[in-house]
Amino acid sequence: MRGRNGRNLPAYIGMVGPATAIFLFIVAYPIVYSFWLSVTDFNPNRGGAWNFVGLEQYIKMLQDPNFWHSLKNNLIVVAVSVFGQIPIGFALAYILYRNMVRASGFFQSMVFLPNFLSTIVIGILWKRMFQADGPVARLIQIVTQNPGAQFDLMLRADTIMYPIGFALIWMYTGLYMVIFLANLQKIDTGMIEAAQIDGANEFQIFTRVIVPVLSGTILVSSILAIAGSLRGFDLIFAITTQGLQRNNAMVLPIFMYQTAFQDYNNPSRFAYGAAISNAIIIISVLLILLSNFIGKKLNAGEEY
Amino acid sequence: MKKTLFVLAALLAMAGMVFASGQAQSGQAGTKQVVVKTMAYGDNSNSEGVNWVRIVKAFEKENPNIKIDYELLYDEAYHQKVAARLAAGDVPALAYMGADARWGAPWKEAKQQFDHRPYIDANYFDLNLIPPMGPNGEIFEIPLGTSNITTVLYMNEELVKSLGFSEPKTYEDLVAMVPKARAAGLDVVSLDGADGWAWGSCLMSAIIARVSGDANWVSKAVAGMYKFTDQAFVDSLSLLQKMVKDGVISDKSVLVDYGANISNFSNKKALFMVQGQWAAGSIDPAVAEKTKMLAWPKLPGEKPATAGSVAAAIQVGYGITQAGAKDPAVRDAALKFMKYFYSYEETTQRLRDGAIVAPILKNYKVPDDLPTIVKQKVGLAQKAKNTDVIDAFLGGAPNDALNAGMQKIVAGTATPADVAAEVEKLLRK
Repeated sequence: MRGRNGRNLPAYIGMVGPATAIFLFIVAYPIVYSFWLSVTDFNPNRGGAWNFVGLEQYIKMLQDPNFWHSLKNNLIVVAVSVFGQIPIGFALAYILYRNMVRASGFFQSMVFLPNFLSTIVIGILWKRMFQADGPVARLIQIVTQNPGAQFDLMLRADTIMYPIGFALIWMYTGLYMVIFLANLQKIDTGMIEAAQIDGANEFQIFTRVIVPVLSGTILVSSILAIAGSLRGFDLIFAITTQGLQRNNAMVLPIFMYQTAFQDYNNPSRFAYGAAISNAIIIISVLLILLSNFIGKKLNAGEEY
Repeated sequence: MKKTLFVLAALLAMAGMVFASGQAQSGQAGTKQVVVKTMAYGDNSNSEGVNWVRIVKAFEKENPNIKIDYELLYDEAYHQKVAARLAAGDVPALAYMGADARWGAPWKEAKQQFDHRPYIDANYFDLNLIPPMGPNGEIFEIPLGTSNITTVLYMNEELVKSLGFSEPKTYEDLVAMVPKARAAGLDVVSLDGADGWAWGSCLMSAIIARVSGDANWVSKAVAGMYKFTDQAFVDSLSLLQKMVKDGVISDKSVLVDYGANISNFSNKKALFMVQGQWAAGSIDPAVAEKTKMLAWPKLPGEKPATAGSVAAAIQVGYGITQAGAKDPAVRDAALKFMKYFYSYEETTQRLRDGAIVAPILKNYKVPDDLPTIVKQKVGLAQKAKNTDVIDAFLGGAPNDALNAGMQKIVAGTATPADVAAEVEKLLRK
């Protein structure tokens, strides 16, 4: 490393410079711009003058009931991801890893299949499932023997996240299953055999051997799930129709989008939207820090 | 050190050669080609999109020096992209647009509306059929056709007759159809109530004019001459509740989207359908032949001044933006394309497809062999009084609150007074 004496500095700058410039332009600039925008009343559509308004947009956001409604829905999505997708994905991976079912390759492909489909296609598919006289409604009609019965959970703010949560689990569980399966295959089988010789049953092997070994994977999956859940936009947008359903299922990214791109009555809507998007980042970071804290407390990340 | 610098210099030189080579090739390929960046409306599954692609191909073949570089989007995707492109400063030269609160707001805010009056060929377009769109009579886009009726009541005449009924003259006539229709497993009026905008554009726009007796109630309310909390508006919202309670509109309509609504009507699952005039082209041709396009019959509380009226807005169309007009070559290329797009043949095709009510071309002779439903549409446009369309004047959060509020009223989770108060509050904020 002759660069320490400065002789190769131009070459190092030449090597590192382009990547740094790209990083600054693509990652750092939007973050800085978004923060700047959120403390102004600038509207890029109108251009021209802008004023520094301090934390006005953030205060407005905290006073907006739509923000709290969206945050609540977002936290439901986070909960569905962390406590739904990850445990189910883990359990499915374990079942496949321990060869508890036949045709494991087929099941693995089927569970992972949604990951090959466009999110919009999946959203439209579930929208069709939940529509009036759609497949779910027909099923209810058959079970209840009521030809007029409909699946109306999508119409109420307090129930809409159930069908959406189901669709989220259906879509993303396969991803976590593959992550856990890949990590399970790295485990030294000698540990499992030793546990069996010691008389451990399947449940004990799972809880006492497998879960501790994969605690790091669980932590990483949780971070992925939290980050993905908070910025998730496409599936919920596609699964709901414009109006009541989308308002009921509104999550922070949709709230941000509707504010910035659709509310033409608000002249500083882009600045307000930027404040919402910054709030998403702050909440994501806080939740990820919390995950890390819990992970450390549980000794997650320990390698065997 | 020298070696490293040499390698870097060589890499930079190679990169430069690659880029220079690319520029030269593109220069050779189209030395004088004018590119018209366009935002078009439609998708690969509807006649608008399919016709757009066909027209562009034919135009470019005839005009190799002009390239229509388009992005084809439909419905919400189009509106989203307009907002995103304008905010990013990526302004198309030519775009599908309107001049009202829904279709014109983003272009107006971005100051991209361009007055076409000096460039419209008065020998080609009938200027009497193109309404003024700006405060000084500006024309910001060339409408695809004359007024865009949004509150059409499509009636499957054959199905209605099969139940022993005839064209309804009053709301009570519709109510009288409910028991027989239900017994036959049919809806009386099908509406895509899962889409919030359908309640506003396709139903409430007709009701408020009828109940208030003022064809321009909405624009006056937005201007502050009326309040959305006025009794006329609350009564109009209450009428939605009544329609569902009476069974005229099915309570499941809040779970039916646009595609399902047209599919239900095409599959003879409903006696009537509420939609805009543009939906005529999407109805199954066999059903369309038996379909009559009507204004709503006499509604409860209706005033004589607006009896038999329909809500109608200025039709959308293609317009050049300020960015496109800056470069005379691009502007002229766009104008040339628009003339091609609005040609007699294409306009006739649009008329046949049911996409427009009536053409805006000068001395246009309507063909005798038009499909029945198109003739129905022309007839409705000629005889019905036009009133305001809500989202042509009310935009953003107040309009969203109204649309979602009407769905809540129908679903039984809000009262008309609550929704009216919310709209008024958001509008005056």
